[in-house]
Amino acid sequence: MRGATPGCLAESINDTLYRQLEGDESVVLIGQDIGRLGGVFRVTKGLQERFGRSRVRDAVLAESSIVGQAIGMAMAGLKPICEIQFEGFIYPAMNQIVTQAARLTTRWNDQLVLNLVIRVPVGGGIRAVEHHSESNEAYFAHTPGLHVAFPSCPSDAAAMLHHSCGLGSPVIFYEPKRLYWKRNRQNREPAESGSALGARTVRRGSDITVVGYGALLEEVLAAANQLAGTVDVEVVDLRWIAPMDTDAVLASVARTGRLLVVHEAVGFVGVGAEIVATVAERGWHLLKAPMRRLAPARRIYPPADHEADYLIGLSDIVETIEEMCA
Amino acid sequence: MLVARGIDDEAVLLQNHGAVDLWLSCRGQEAAQVASVMAVGDAAVVFPSYREHAVAVARGIDAVSLVAQWAGNTYCGWNPRSHRLFPYTLVLAAQTLHAVGYAIGQRLNEFAETVVVYVGDGATSEGDMSEAMNLAAVESARVLFVCQNNGWAISKPSTEQMLTSVAERAKGFGIRSWSIQADDPDDTYHLCLEASRYVEASNSPGLVELRTTRIMGHSTSDPHTVYREAEELTTAAANDPVTRYREKLLAAGVVDAAWLDRVGADVDTARRALVEAFGR
Repeated sequence: MRGATPGCLAESINDTLYRQLEGDESVVLIGQDIGRLGGVFRVTKGLQERFGRSRVRDAVLAESSIVGQAIGMAMAGLKPICEIQFEGFIYPAMNQIVTQAARLTTRWNDQLVLNLVIRVPVGGGIRAVEHHSESNEAYFAHTPGLHVAFPSCPSDAAAMLHHSCGLGSPVIFYEPKRLYWKRNRQNREPAESGSALGARTVRRGSDITVVGYGALLEEVLAAANQLAGTVDVEVVDLRWIAPMDTDAVLASVARTGRLLVVHEAVGFVGVGAEIVATVAERGWHLLKAPMRRLAPARRIYPPADHEADYLIGLSDIVETIEEMCA
Repeated sequence: MLVARGIDDEAVLLQNHGAVDLWLSCRGQEAAQVASVMAVGDAAVVFPSYREHAVAVARGIDAVSLVAQWAGNTYCGWNPRSHRLFPYTLVLAAQTLHAVGYAIGQRLNEFAETVVVYVGDGATSEGDMSEAMNLAAVESARVLFVCQNNGWAISKPSTEQMLTSVAERAKGFGIRSWSIQADDPDDTYHLCLEASRYVEASNSPGLVELRTTRIMGHSTSDPHTVYREAEELTTAAANDPVTRYREKLLAAGVVDAAWLDRVGADVDTARRALVEAFGR
């Protein structure tokens, strides 16, 4: 809702972290350059000044150490919120996330509350160098024991981060870089009071359901607006990749009879494949047309000069919707 | 040590009979384990690796609870908080970073507590071990690293794993360290007590390298005679710390036959419980 929720993603995350630190003594921030510098994206700006170096902790330059020590802190009853500087640098922490954080509560026979949020700037379109533009949510969505959050706008990011901080279970919290300082946004339907972990219909329509999440949802909404008058597009913001609210997708497909899934991550064995497979299994009878996915091919993210060719753009979405509704 | 040995022997038998899926024997390492965990005291919280069965026994965990995860019943058979022994970690050295983070967390909670983390020599090759030693040093975390160096990372001898000792390596990170041939529990206890007191008094990390012997294979699935010399195994069996300490205490008059009979009855009870729980 333009105007009603001023600011941008970086400001809403900063504000949410401020409130968490202020309201709960057990919240601790750990990440590279988050203190003195305020983070490479300035998302944690001012927090160390306000809350001190022991609660806003500049980490050594080792991702496994960041997540591994945060797990230990969570075992000691704290609520650590980690920052991984870029999604492409999360892999050194992969072992700690997948073999430890995700499984510990089960290993402890549910006798452990593990409050742990791992914030991860994600995605491309910012002319960044290698490892700074990718979308790797499918790896984590595939791992039992992890929640995967992927907000698409500042106000929802604040609500989702607030929910993540008290969940008692580890969350990979993605923050689309393109949205950090973006202030103009597409109009959205007022959010209905759905469940905290549910998907959300952000635009009502009757001809086709387009499911998306993260930064790309802005392009999906722009495409829907551009087609208004010829095609009536319903847009579903998935919000959480895991657990995935496929019931909401099925309910929307029941209204429209068509499904397109759009995402920035590679399509092969991706989030879109899971959604399409679920609708094929449970909602085949609802469909008027074959379902489609719109996502980059399975190839290495290119240098910045070529990223426009790689990424899904507004015209790709418009054309695909037109083809499906022809 | 005698109870841990009895449980170990019975678990090996049960595995041979197919009643337990896998067992990682701690035979030969009982002195290192019991002495170190007694030296740090009951108040210390312990992050084990996966072979610390004698540590578990010393922490009051019964035989059935200890063996349950190796029989496929659970991933942890005991209450980690009440025994102050956290679950076994099978991915090598991952728990070292948890231990350091836990110590930092308890400092933030203003709760003074010593944290002890066990690793084997093989695990020290993992990056997490180096990261944990560095982090503990730079954060001045109240962590005692206990490395049981039994000479083998499954089939890879220590001489092929590292050029310096683990204790030497710790010094490079700025961590005070100790090293001992840990076959005698009394000597090992005194050394670990010194290390533990240093960690408590200085509020900074320490590392003890306990040079010990793995008498059995890495696991019940590991035919270690393929890669170990017969002579090495004969020497290991002859230097069995459990047998030697029993003889030492008897000769010194610290224990007598009646005392040993009572412990023997406890061992029989533990073994019977294992057979009843898993053997049918």
